[in-house]
Amino acid sequence: MKYLPSLPEKNDNVSHNHPLSEFALLSAGLILFFGIVYLILGLLVDLAAEKISYETEAALFQALSSRVDYFDPQNDDLAEEKQRVQQIVDDLQTCTDLPYAIQVHIVKSDETNAIALPGGHIAVFTGLLQAVPQDNGLAFVLAHELGHFQNRDHLRSLGRSLVFYSLSAMLTGGNSSISGLLAPTFGLTAAQYSQARESMADRIALDTCNCRFGNINGAVDFFRYIIEMKLDSNLQIFHYFSSHPETQKRIDELKAYADSKGYQYSSF
Amino acid sequence: MDNLIILAVLISCGYFFGRHAEKKHYRSIVERENALISLPITSSRHVMILREIDSSRLVLGGVVISVDYFKRILAGLRNIFGGNVRSYETLLDRARREAVLRLRESCLDADEIINLRIETSSISKGGDSKIGCVEVLAYATAIYYKK
Repeated sequence: MKYLPSLPEKNDNVSHNHPLSEFALLSAGLILFFGIVYLILGLLVDLAAEKISYETEAALFQALSSRVDYFDPQNDDLAEEKQRVQQIVDDLQTCTDLPYAIQVHIVKSDETNAIALPGGHIAVFTGLLQAVPQDNGLAFVLAHELGHFQNRDHLRSLGRSLVFYSLSAMLTGGNSSISGLLAPTFGLTAAQYSQARESMADRIALDTCNCRFGNINGAVDFFRYIIEMKLDSNLQIFHYFSSHPETQKRIDELKAYADSKGYQYSSF
Repeated sequence: MDNLIILAVLISCGYFFGRHAEKKHYRSIVERENALISLPITSSRHVMILREIDSSRLVLGGVVISVDYFKRILAGLRNIFGGNVRSYETLLDRARREAVLRLRESCLDADEIINLRIETSSISKGGDSKIGCVEVLAYATAIYYKK
């Protein structure tokens, strides 16, 4: 037998197309597919949020209310604050058509925020109370949260995050690197979606404040605090991702809305 | 957002360093393969040239190559859609050829190498950390003729 030393001219054991094109194709396909699934499920969540009755909601989130109470400190000065905020909410509620009572909870945290929780709870962070000490400024924020209840946004956001986490868990089965690849897509659509919801809640908040006080100076005060304290210190590029519309844009929108309704206010 | 930045950095690191290492490795492989072309090597169980044999010995060549982050992501995507895992093809091709080269380099004075076999195994298979490494072991019999 004769041995012929030779090397193959071309390597047939590997593919010769560019790995980046494969990467682009596969990730685009994945993002597209799950984007569509997320959109469809998101719309279903919206539908469900509209249909779910207040009684069912209360029953579903019975468990949550015991958890929320857990955060409530027994501290006396916070109890006073809680009573004050609860009073504002109760007064505002006379101007809404919410069929159930809203319970206020004060949570010790530096965050300047308040959140609407399922089952008729509003969690107010102490950071917000420090940043916006006056009642009418606070009233706008609370009316905004009541607006979320009226629009059932608390259920929507809960449902959507449930969809998001189920999808990413299903997709990767624990391989976090791929879900990391997708997370921004979901985050982006979620932020865009919730910006629209925030604007709606803002408008309802104006309606409520105007009904309660006969003017919307509370909103003016609130935004003055925000601008003075530069609470909105997020970098410009992150605004696309953030759920609350950029402050100036938010003020402009509210001004236009207030003017169209003929609401009274001191200058923004 | 932070996760996205970290991910982008990891992927591009994997891509640029991995690609650079791969090109460099392929250059070295081709160069060494050309240099060693005159040493006969086959998978046959019998010697090719009928000559009196002085001695024979077992020769081994092994290599462990790690997958880069970009390749792993690409393979993960392939996992979802199915099809050829192209990103791992070059990895295994390099590992096989490197293992055979190391085997040949371990017996440069041999007259021929027969019965070449190649084994592949994945390191940390099924482990939680999922460090994607491949080990390729080539083994054969080196034949020395009587001078």
